[in-house]
Amino acid sequence: MKEIKYIVDTTLRDGEQSPGIALRREDKLKIAKLLDNVGVYEIEAGIPCLGQSESDCIGEIVSCARNAKISVWSRMNVEDVKKSLVCKPHILHIGTPVSYIQIYSKLKKNKAWVQKNILDCVDISLSKGIDVTVGLEDASRSDIGFILSLIKELKKSGVKVIRLADTVGVLTPGRTKEIVETIKAHTDIEVEMHVHNDLGMAVANSIIGAKAGAAYVDCTLFGIGERTGNCNFYDFIHASEEIFQFAMTKKQVRELEAECYELLKGAM
Amino acid sequence: MLRITDNTLTGFDKCLPSKEDLHLFCRLLREIGIDVIEISLAAYEKMEYLPDDGKYILQVDYAEDIDRYTGFYRYTCHFHENLENLMPEIQINDIREIIKLRAISHCRELRIAGLDDLMCNGYDKAMEEIKKNLPNTKVNLNPENTYHCASAMAIQWLLSYGTDVTVSFAGHKNNGATEEVLMALRLVVRHKPNKDLTVLPALTKLYEKITDTNISNKKPVIGKCIFKVESGIHADAMSKNPAIYEAYEPACVGGKSELVIGKHSGTKAVKMKLEELLLPVPEETVILKMLDKIKEVCSDSRSSLCDEEFAQIAAKVGANEGNKIHR
Repeated sequence: MKEIKYIVDTTLRDGEQSPGIALRREDKLKIAKLLDNVGVYEIEAGIPCLGQSESDCIGEIVSCARNAKISVWSRMNVEDVKKSLVCKPHILHIGTPVSYIQIYSKLKKNKAWVQKNILDCVDISLSKGIDVTVGLEDASRSDIGFILSLIKELKKSGVKVIRLADTVGVLTPGRTKEIVETIKAHTDIEVEMHVHNDLGMAVANSIIGAKAGAAYVDCTLFGIGERTGNCNFYDFIHASEEIFQFAMTKKQVRELEAECYELLKGAM
Repeated sequence: MLRITDNTLTGFDKCLPSKEDLHLFCRLLREIGIDVIEISLAAYEKMEYLPDDGKYILQVDYAEDIDRYTGFYRYTCHFHENLENLMPEIQINDIREIIKLRAISHCRELRIAGLDDLMCNGYDKAMEEIKKNLPNTKVNLNPENTYHCASAMAIQWLLSYGTDVTVSFAGHKNNGATEEVLMALRLVVRHKPNKDLTVLPALTKLYEKITDTNISNKKPVIGKCIFKVESGIHADAMSKNPAIYEAYEPACVGGKSELVIGKHSGTKAVKMKLEELLLPVPEETVILKMLDKIKEVCSDSRSSLCDEEFAQIAAKVGANEGNKIHR
């Protein structure tokens, strides 16, 4: 019996962040509908804080979704979280810097500040009845001790899923296995893999992360995304369908790609 | 000591370039830190002679070619004789075939090619098994890339099990990609950090010329667009510390970061681009109007802006707002 794994498609968020494309409202609605039809578990539809039109578009995607959960991305910032909830997503994804370079150099804060802020943000979302996924940004360059202590607090506050983000794409299969297994051994949180392809290892790391216990895997159509892109949806299904059960076949993903190619080719 | 063999020059037989280009390809491979360069007989004959520097492997079909073409560091072939300087190659497409390696455990050296689906089938146990079945053999792993995992397998082999891999530039011939393996080794174990990867754009250009193909813009390490940044959050980080969103400095592979203005840009990115283009920076309210216009234009064109388009928008919005410039 193959293990069931769930695809989180982030073409409309991380994928669209790739320079070279700008999707219109109708483009996003079309892609979201196709992803929904093919059986994607969750569609990360965008960033409401980009502006009113983006927020409205995401609201439409939410109201049209038949099977998929629609998530939105927000910075770890109370005001952004409040704005993101306006379009009533099924899931709020909060990007949470956890590496020292992100905490001390980008945010110019400390670990205690990160912990307090993320718990405040989580509380706001959950109090409105919207599930939260916490994205541990730059987890691959982080102190695993801090990650584990943060996960324990998040779990206590009601978070069920964390996204393990290899933000700069430096994981290797061995390191991926080590991190996911450590998290699974010390916590009972669900893990979502989110890897980038900077070293050409996004598919391999996603497979190894899923084998080590991650239930969710983030992908994008054609592997589009920042820099070298994210885990390629088709390639991941093609490589791992022998050991994992997915809601869709690789043939369906190929057909989906064909329907979206013209809209996304600028990011390739 | 880790040893990386690049066999790109065994895959050019149908598009053999000039003698000069072949020699240049070898020189650039040596510069990026390739230990051993493998070439086909046809490529060698076109090259006419071996370069003075470096170690070279000749791919041969018959044992007698070994005596005919002398001066090579090693020879590769598909027969399994235990000859001096010979590295036989065996293709393994299924993890269950690993047990058969016992039959050729007499080989001093052996290249194992294939193993495409190892990532799904427990690469760690399989690699252990290979070592166990060939206790006295120096194994060179040449993972193939049908499932986009070849570079990852080459890296895992080098990090935990063996010392030798075969890869090829840009993943030519369905192999792991030389540049990905080199960069991963540099980042993970500081392998050859003093080697010059700034020639990679020249090598890419030469590869594209020889094969008459275009490398994907997003190809790891060598893609033309991999250092472009658009989203507001990343542009902001770029100004604070580029290492926040970069695994390595673009300059070390002959590239450079490039700020692109588009739908996902924020006020900070617009200010940075204005400064980069030596244009006047207006006050915040004007920048917000510029952003509105940028989003509108990008949505219409379904694309990001080139610098000229951005400058035109900046000039137009600036003029409409009466030049509220603060510096």
